[in-house]
Amino acid sequence: MKIVIGEGSCGIAAGAAAVHSAIEKIIPKNSGIKLDITGCIGMCFLEPIVDIYEEDKLIKRLIKVKPEDAGKIVSAAKNNDFSLLEDITIAKEDEEFLALQTRIALCGCGKTDPTSIDDYCLKGGYSALKKAFAMDPEDIIDEIKTSGLAGRGGAGFPTWFKWNAARKSEGKHKHLICNADEGDPGAFMDRAVIESDPHRLIEGMLIAAYAIKAEDITVYVRAEYPLAIKRLKNAIKQAESAGFIGENILQSGFSCKIRIKAGAGAFVCGEETALIESMEGKRGMPRLKPPFPAQKGFKDEPSNINNVETFANVPWIIEKGGAEFAKIGTEKSKGTKVFALTGKINKSGLVEVPMGITLRDVIYKIGGGIKNGKEFKAVQLGGPSGGCIPKELLDTAIDYEALSATGAIMGSGGMVVMDEDTCMVGVAKFFLDFTADESCGKCVHCRIGTKRMQEILTAITEGKGRPEDIELLEELCEAIKDGALCGLGQTAPNPVLTTLRYFKEEYLEHIFEHRCRAKECSAMLTYSINPEKCVGCTLCAKKCPVQAISGTVKKTHSINKNICIKCGACSKACRFGAVSIE
Amino acid sequence: MDKIKIIIDGKEITGKSGESILNIAAENGIEIPNLCHSKELENFGACGLCLVEAEGFSRLLRACSARAEDGMKIHTDSPRVKKARNAALELIMSDHEGDCIGPCSKNCPAHTDVQGYLKRIAEGKYSEAVRIIKEKIPIPASVGRICPHPCETECRRRFAEEPLSIAYLKAFAADMDLKSENPFKEELLEETGKSIAIIGGGPAGLSAAYRLRLIGHSVTIFDAMPEMGGMLRYGIPEYRLPKAVLKKETDAIKNLGVSFKNNVKIGKDIALKELQKKFDAVLVALGAWQDGKIYCKGENLCDVFGGTEFLRGVNCGKNPDIGKKVAVIGGGNTAMDACRTALRCGAEKVYVIYRRTREEAPAADAEITEAIEEGIEFKFLAAPEEIIGTNGKVKSIKLQIMELAEADSSGRRKPVPVEGKFESIEVDSVIKAVGQKCDLAGFEELELTEKGTVAAKAKTGETNLKGVFAAGDITNKGPSIAIEAIAEGNTVAKTINAYLCGVPFDFGEDAYSERKVSAKDYEHISKIPRIKMPLKTAEERKNTFDEVICGFTEERAKAEAKRCLECGCHDYTDCKLIRYARENRIDMRKFEGVKHNSFTERKLLLIERDQGKCMLCGLCVRVCEEKIGKGLLGFRGRGFKTAILPEFEHGEEIADCANCLECAKICPTGALKIIK
Repeated sequence: MKIVIGEGSCGIAAGAAAVHSAIEKIIPKNSGIKLDITGCIGMCFLEPIVDIYEEDKLIKRLIKVKPEDAGKIVSAAKNNDFSLLEDITIAKEDEEFLALQTRIALCGCGKTDPTSIDDYCLKGGYSALKKAFAMDPEDIIDEIKTSGLAGRGGAGFPTWFKWNAARKSEGKHKHLICNADEGDPGAFMDRAVIESDPHRLIEGMLIAAYAIKAEDITVYVRAEYPLAIKRLKNAIKQAESAGFIGENILQSGFSCKIRIKAGAGAFVCGEETALIESMEGKRGMPRLKPPFPAQKGFKDEPSNINNVETFANVPWIIEKGGAEFAKIGTEKSKGTKVFALTGKINKSGLVEVPMGITLRDVIYKIGGGIKNGKEFKAVQLGGPSGGCIPKELLDTAIDYEALSATGAIMGSGGMVVMDEDTCMVGVAKFFLDFTADESCGKCVHCRIGTKRMQEILTAITEGKGRPEDIELLEELCEAIKDGALCGLGQTAPNPVLTTLRYFKEEYLEHIFEHRCRAKECSAMLTYSINPEKCVGCTLCAKKCPVQAISGTVKKTHSINKNICIKCGACSKACRFGAVSIE
Repeated sequence: MDKIKIIIDGKEITGKSGESILNIAAENGIEIPNLCHSKELENFGACGLCLVEAEGFSRLLRACSARAEDGMKIHTDSPRVKKARNAALELIMSDHEGDCIGPCSKNCPAHTDVQGYLKRIAEGKYSEAVRIIKEKIPIPASVGRICPHPCETECRRRFAEEPLSIAYLKAFAADMDLKSENPFKEELLEETGKSIAIIGGGPAGLSAAYRLRLIGHSVTIFDAMPEMGGMLRYGIPEYRLPKAVLKKETDAIKNLGVSFKNNVKIGKDIALKELQKKFDAVLVALGAWQDGKIYCKGENLCDVFGGTEFLRGVNCGKNPDIGKKVAVIGGGNTAMDACRTALRCGAEKVYVIYRRTREEAPAADAEITEAIEEGIEFKFLAAPEEIIGTNGKVKSIKLQIMELAEADSSGRRKPVPVEGKFESIEVDSVIKAVGQKCDLAGFEELELTEKGTVAAKAKTGETNLKGVFAAGDITNKGPSIAIEAIAEGNTVAKTINAYLCGVPFDFGEDAYSERKVSAKDYEHISKIPRIKMPLKTAEERKNTFDEVICGFTEERAKAEAKRCLECGCHDYTDCKLIRYARENRIDMRKFEGVKHNSFTERKLLLIERDQGKCMLCGLCVRVCEEKIGKGLLGFRGRGFKTAILPEFEHGEEIADCANCLECAKICPTGALKIIK
């Protein structure tokens, strides 16, 4: 019997570490019960999750486990009687969450022990690498070509093409770089892979390095991922000891080193040329292309950059064949895609789905629909570079071309679901705040253009929009798309363009009627107390942080509009729905 | 190396394979706009101005880095390129905090390069100063004496203490030049064989004549009066502008080869039609020589004079019989000239009757002060009700007492009568200086405005008649100050030249970058009081027509000129940014918003830096790193707040700086300035 606790960052944040020590303390010695950890199981909404295995078979999945459940868990495992665990056992319909997925990049996540190379090898790890060493590098690239794998970092560029260019590029030294500078708000796919299955990443990178003849690998991972860095470091050490990294790996004649470079938190360093600048110790600003990194990358030498998820697919492809991978997905988009499903959704978490599945299926079948019975309004894909897709387009298939046609992008995998209470102008402003802040400052279109867009959007949400603002925004969008130097700038207008395309009436309401239908733009709201509903409980007055509410017990209260800061505390506090917001 | 052929905007050119589009274009004399590119440095791609569209490419390409391929078809001016490029320029301008030219030049109707000539005066280079002034004003000694100087109104020294004495410094420089052995001499271009008739030898006509003559055209000025100068000669009194000074300046124009035909009245001596036939172009530049009416009883009595009529009489050497007591009606500069001239003509008591108060009076305040000093009595808030006379002679004037009500459409408070309140004063004559009108007899074919002035197209001066242009007081809004007539003369000369060359008149308007300032920005300026132009005492001056000002000494003029804050950009003439802004006719204010680049001055040993003008092209950073090998400069901050700061914060000196000045030399705007 084995108790396995999900200890990715998400599980730990939900309390998995406390559960771990509580269980650890009471497991009797020589009871035969093993305590293990695994990474992210993917169901954030159910964390902390504890699995009970018999041999390699999962027999019980426990959810929202608290330290005080430790006793009954251990005794259940000991007595092989799980009847007392019913209240913390995963519900049937929640099991669907995983059942509807197709896991390739995440196939080890939530199963493998991320701290153990032995566990990884036991589950077939590093066999793809061995297989690759027996292949001609050209054949590996062919296999990737057959698979149809495209870069999962956002742009969706064919992976084989980049590898091929780097391989053919002339240069004594070549470099392989893994982009783990995952920066989109709400995205955590790469973090989960590194934290949960680091050896899969290492194996994928080694295969790629072998294919392009790179002598060194750098994983550029953001410093805000301490657990990922820790587990990756540990995994690299283990792989070195096991002979998978170093000189003449597995007697293949191929030698390769891996190092970790922690990024200092600039979003733009996720752009490949800015990432290279940063690796060289320079200010993270994108370079002009051409020359492309495949010709002149790190230290001006040929370099190939892919992101974590892309590499994580590679062992599977080599193991099972490109053709097998290509069977999954649509005609032009092959394989699966990992999404970080968040927002106003019932079941948030990490999902890996086959290309071609509709947004509706992901949101309703896997994600369980919208929280609190609210109406779905839009789903945001691709983070600050992506766009908002409205209800009418929920049947759009997840596929590079179909998503681009909506104005959004596949992106790296952020999928933020919004309900009727979300102001779409506010959403656009949120992303522009982000990009304006994260612009590296190099090119005019992005540095000043995003700032101006942000200013206009701020004015609109504050009720100071002017009729000409929409035209001005559209003009800025076009100019920035055409003029910005790198992907960050070129795609920065997307959130504005898509909200303008699908939710223009909300912009117009803000500008012409000074009205925010989602009641999110506080500048346009007034708070008042409905005398018919107010019972004079005084709770609102107590919660008001600025003493704007007056009234005595059992008498109708009132809000002084000159003092009110529209924080919404009263409305949240009122149990009688007496605070009206208009 | 292989040769390749590419087509740029329909023109086939050749270049070396592997070269960038921008370089090949440049080698073939085609300029693709750029601000961050230098052939000596690595490409950077910041400014976004070199974007071009290549057929078959979905994205726009940055011409600085994109390699030309054989057969490429490139467009540098397609609508899509223009949009992206203009947006870049408009965005840069939205974060640009600097003055292209000083507010003095900007507010001068003729945009005279004030900063430029003040600098020369401070250096004692008067002839140089005059060369600069004459680019805009052909008669600086005259204009400097009488100009109400809108330049001084805007002078930023006013925030520290007082504006510079710009107008008098101009007169000073011109006087010095006229006196010198080697006065400034214009260079004439080759004769073109084209001829222009100019009707009216006042400021507008003279400046147009001067400009057109310099280009090499043959110019004839026709004027109804015996001497040239128009209102400057016949309206302004001798004590303000000595005739001898004006004569020297009109003579100088004559000496350039402009033909003067005086005592010729159009419609009487020669018809407009005839001039149209004889000359390739005609410019109508008459003044407004008819006096306005006051619409009160007794206005037609024989001792009631018009203001300009009276001044003209005196300036012609006649002494109109005004008696001992004179009432001048009006509060403008003509009223001031009239009252002080009346005093000098022997009047013992002169009143100025004005229906508003001193604050509303359009006359220059100094003129009012000087008039009061000379003993003129001002009756504010009074309007003529009736001029009473016996036997056709004026005896007295009855005044309606007024008070001020709400502001009217002109923004001034409207005077209204105080019911039943009157005052009578005994006078021998009345001079009404209440506005001027035009006499357009002889010009019946010209289309007029509602005001009865000649309808001339703004900025070109075209009239309804082909080849006939108009400028100055006679046009559109009517009479104004001399410098405005001069400015119009300059502009119409440009149009006439274009007309004669057969090219379109569409010059567009010069865009300028402008700084928003407040007194706070000038708190740190050390206070240097304005050096006042010394005047003769009221006693000395009131009975004589001798010039009232005593003139500057060289020492004082230089000291005054040195007070100039040099608000205008040192790089204005070479600035690529403003050139592109104008060439592309961008909307300078389209994307107005917060500016992070506020005006801050930081100094290195030999370099002054104005952060407000930096557009982050990175050329200074890169030249220091790549060419000099020092790498002393760098970017700081992210996003909109990015700035090139680090080493400029250390104050006066950087230990490792080579003082090579390459950073300042390569700066495409005026952000870095070499201190000489």
